[in-house]
Amino acid sequence: MGKRMKKTIFFGMLGGAFAAFLCASATALAAGDLEKTGKNETCFYKDLFDQNVYSEGVNQIDLGRWWRRLSGKKLASANVNVFDEVPDSAFFTNRQGRQRLSAQDLEKGYSETSGPDMSQPLVVTKSEHEGVQPRFYVKDAKGDTYFLKFDSVGNLELATGAEIVASRFYYAIGYNVPQYTILRIKADQIRVAEGALSWDNSGFKKPLNQKLLQEYLLFLPQTADGFYRASASKILSGENKGFFSFESRRKEDSADPVNHRDRREVRALAVFSGWLNNDDVREGNTVDMLVAENGPTFLKHYLIDFDKSLGSAQNAPKAPMVGYEYAVDFGETFKSILAFGFREKPWQKKWRAADETASVSPAVGYFSNAFFDPARYKVQLPYETSRLVTAADGFWAAKILMSFADDDIRAAVKAGQYSDPKDSDYIAKTLMERRDIIVRYWLAKASPLDSFEYGSGKLSFRDLAVEHGCESATGTSYRAEWIGRDQEGKVLGEVRSSERAITIPAEWIAGGKDAEIRIRVIRASSKEPKPFVTVRLNASGVQSIRHAD
Amino acid sequence: MKFGKCFLTVIIFCAGFAAAALAADPKAGRYDSVYAQEPLTSKNLKDPFSRAIAFPFELLKWPMDKGAVLTEKYRIDKKAKWIYEKSVEYGVTPHLDSMDTEPFPAFGATFDMVSLARRKDDHPDLILKTAVRYGPKVFFQVASELGKQRILDTGFYTSGIFQYEMRENETFYGIGPNTSLGDSTSYKKETTSLGIVGGYEFSPVWNLASKFVYDHVNIGNRAHDGKGDIRNIFAGQDIPGLYGDDLLGYSLGLTRDTRDSKDFATRGSYQKLLFKFTEGVNGSPARYFTYQVDAAKYFRIASPRRIFVTRIFGESNDAVNDGTVPFYNMTKLGGSGTFPRLSQTERAFVFNRFYGKSAVLFNLEYRYTVWEYRDFKMSTSFFWDQGETSKDSWAFRLKDLRESYGIGFYVTYAQNMLLDFSVAHGDEGTRFYVKNKLPF
Repeated sequence: MGKRMKKTIFFGMLGGAFAAFLCASATALAAGDLEKTGKNETCFYKDLFDQNVYSEGVNQIDLGRWWRRLSGKKLASANVNVFDEVPDSAFFTNRQGRQRLSAQDLEKGYSETSGPDMSQPLVVTKSEHEGVQPRFYVKDAKGDTYFLKFDSVGNLELATGAEIVASRFYYAIGYNVPQYTILRIKADQIRVAEGALSWDNSGFKKPLNQKLLQEYLLFLPQTADGFYRASASKILSGENKGFFSFESRRKEDSADPVNHRDRREVRALAVFSGWLNNDDVREGNTVDMLVAENGPTFLKHYLIDFDKSLGSAQNAPKAPMVGYEYAVDFGETFKSILAFGFREKPWQKKWRAADETASVSPAVGYFSNAFFDPARYKVQLPYETSRLVTAADGFWAAKILMSFADDDIRAAVKAGQYSDPKDSDYIAKTLMERRDIIVRYWLAKASPLDSFEYGSGKLSFRDLAVEHGCESATGTSYRAEWIGRDQEGKVLGEVRSSERAITIPAEWIAGGKDAEIRIRVIRASSKEPKPFVTVRLNASGVQSIRHAD
Repeated sequence: MKFGKCFLTVIIFCAGFAAAALAADPKAGRYDSVYAQEPLTSKNLKDPFSRAIAFPFELLKWPMDKGAVLTEKYRIDKKAKWIYEKSVEYGVTPHLDSMDTEPFPAFGATFDMVSLARRKDDHPDLILKTAVRYGPKVFFQVASELGKQRILDTGFYTSGIFQYEMRENETFYGIGPNTSLGDSTSYKKETTSLGIVGGYEFSPVWNLASKFVYDHVNIGNRAHDGKGDIRNIFAGQDIPGLYGDDLLGYSLGLTRDTRDSKDFATRGSYQKLLFKFTEGVNGSPARYFTYQVDAAKYFRIASPRRIFVTRIFGESNDAVNDGTVPFYNMTKLGGSGTFPRLSQTERAFVFNRFYGKSAVLFNLEYRYTVWEYRDFKMSTSFFWDQGETSKDSWAFRLKDLRESYGIGFYVTYAQNMLLDFSVAHGDEGTRFYVKNKLPF
């Protein structure tokens, strides 16, 4: 090989490497900027003030918001691709929605290790309290650090089970979560590190010693065979940059070009959290980690802390109003004032029906689908993202929920390691029913058509409402309207079919042009005009799909 | 040859690019990062005008956020709670009482000397307490009590009491129902009390208490807000007790209390009956009987969230043997009816608005819960107060009844009152209250 040829290959490869770098940069960050970026700090009080006081007030002087409310115009999510899907990012990875996970994967969840290495006693490096409950930061024999949270007396398996199960679902849906495992531990398997400190309920730090540790353990319930039960979350690797906002992006993060308010996966947290009854989804329960995975450093966005999911409120069963009202709910309060006390709210009806007993069983807590309404489910703080969920966003979330078959749900619930099979059966059954309620709601609100394909002159698709048993195929027909792109949305042609395949007239896509086709579902059971889905089509196939917001 | 090399360079470049692209996302298609409008950009969260008008609130948000983060980061809330609990455990109970006329609350503490000496376990029934309370521009109070809560494990109890109280600015508008708000003046009242209390607690519900107290009362004349001296404003009127008195008081009170909370009851009732004889000594002409009834009932209207409260209060001070009833000990109506004020609840009127030898008062209140979150609750209340005082004993006339009506919002935590915001309207205008107590 000549010298010139080598030079040619060298520069060619250099060019390729440069191109690869550019390509990677499109999805990664300008790492230098991110390393300098500060840590976002938040806490419950700040979240409460920001959302319940500041935002609730300032939103009232947002003219754009008022315009949207008055005109009925929706704010579409900005990070969806041409097929109306959310591409993988540092926020979200399509998992169950893309390809059904195996039962083992669902049960395992996100996993780096099999849990703390118990070949030697765990070493407590720091302890803190939530009420009377101690929580420990521990190091295992491998040097990995875990955060241990325990159940409260009288509610063994409640918080730990909820945390593990919810983490499995959030991960399978596509969010980044830390590794959570159930840890069964005896008092002699845990010792205190030299110089360890404890922040107990007094708020003052004090040196932690073995005696104090044993005193703390007295406040924890034990299993019949004498074990303490904890959820062990593995401390995330990378540099902690604090929480991520549910509203705005970090300007220094070039891989995050969309404001989080306009991210579909952030909005859809409201839907998924309704399913998992996790009212504690808030900015304080997120974390951005500066990590280097297969290349340059970038910010990876995590959800954390799920022990207020299902029927758990961490140290007790959920309070009856949780999920139905914000922590401070001005709208509900105002309605109650006007009703002079004679308006029974749904949660009050449910509470009365439950004989004011907040527990199905100690391990399950207060979790049922009575009076559950997906349209009204509220996490504890009124994030604007939850209010902006459009029909298209809800449909996307519902599709992911539909991908969880009954067996998948059972597999994920199995991770909670409930000692009584009745408890895991109850939780799984409640989640299945709740999944169906949510799916039915969003499939009715949006066009339920999906998976469009074009071939042999026919546009075929799936009707998820029919497939999921929400609607009957009998009496259902589909109408395709050819929309003129240059004639201000004028309908230029129309085709109907009772099949889930519509023959597209050749002239619609003649001349190599893209045709914009609006497809509506017509049900015999409903006279209401259904929302539509817009498909852009040409002779080579489907170019884009967009569900109406 | 040259063209060939260039072509090869391009091929390798493209191959590198394609390899990189494939490495980035091997599954092209439905989940690809292909957008209708490339590249993705962020839309403004708000329009410039909305941003501009929200800016002043941003300035408020920043310190609030910082304060909240610091509070949680340094566990200041936990520290404060722990300090309060420890202080109560060690025998020091802090007090904070909002006042209707001053922006700053009254504050103080009760010191349980037995707990402070760490002897509570040895002497659980011993009472040895001192309390100090101060409300800037309103009052100063110091009190001590020494006694036994349960004598020989029976329901009997007894204690000796000493109290010094200075009230800086007690308003006075004359005696009777037809006084004028314009004839406003004030006086300073300094009371030193020494007495003994004894009684029997039949059960947590029933209690019989008797009291024998000596009061030394000094009345100082003081103008307030540029208004005149009490002797000039009411010149020519007979106002007994204007120069103070030495009083001996004997009282017997019976109380029945079945409320589920003394702070914010949702069921039960209380009844208090008091009979008292007061006699002036050291030349004081005071000599009178006091009869008092105070009763309230809390009805649940098919739910603990709907409470209807009725209260009746009546008091008469009847002079005997040509004695007098000092004006400062007459029944008073007006204000919210909560400590540190001593007048009864008539919310559309200023505190101490009506003085009289006798008074009757009816309070009706409908309270309903409008917000609940965990143990926090907010209730809305519609209230109606109707009362009157009479210059002479039991000389009531329907036309002298004064009414107040209004709305209140009460925030509680586990049936402990946190905040009462009320607004009341009546003949003399509208009054607002921000308090941390309810009158009943």
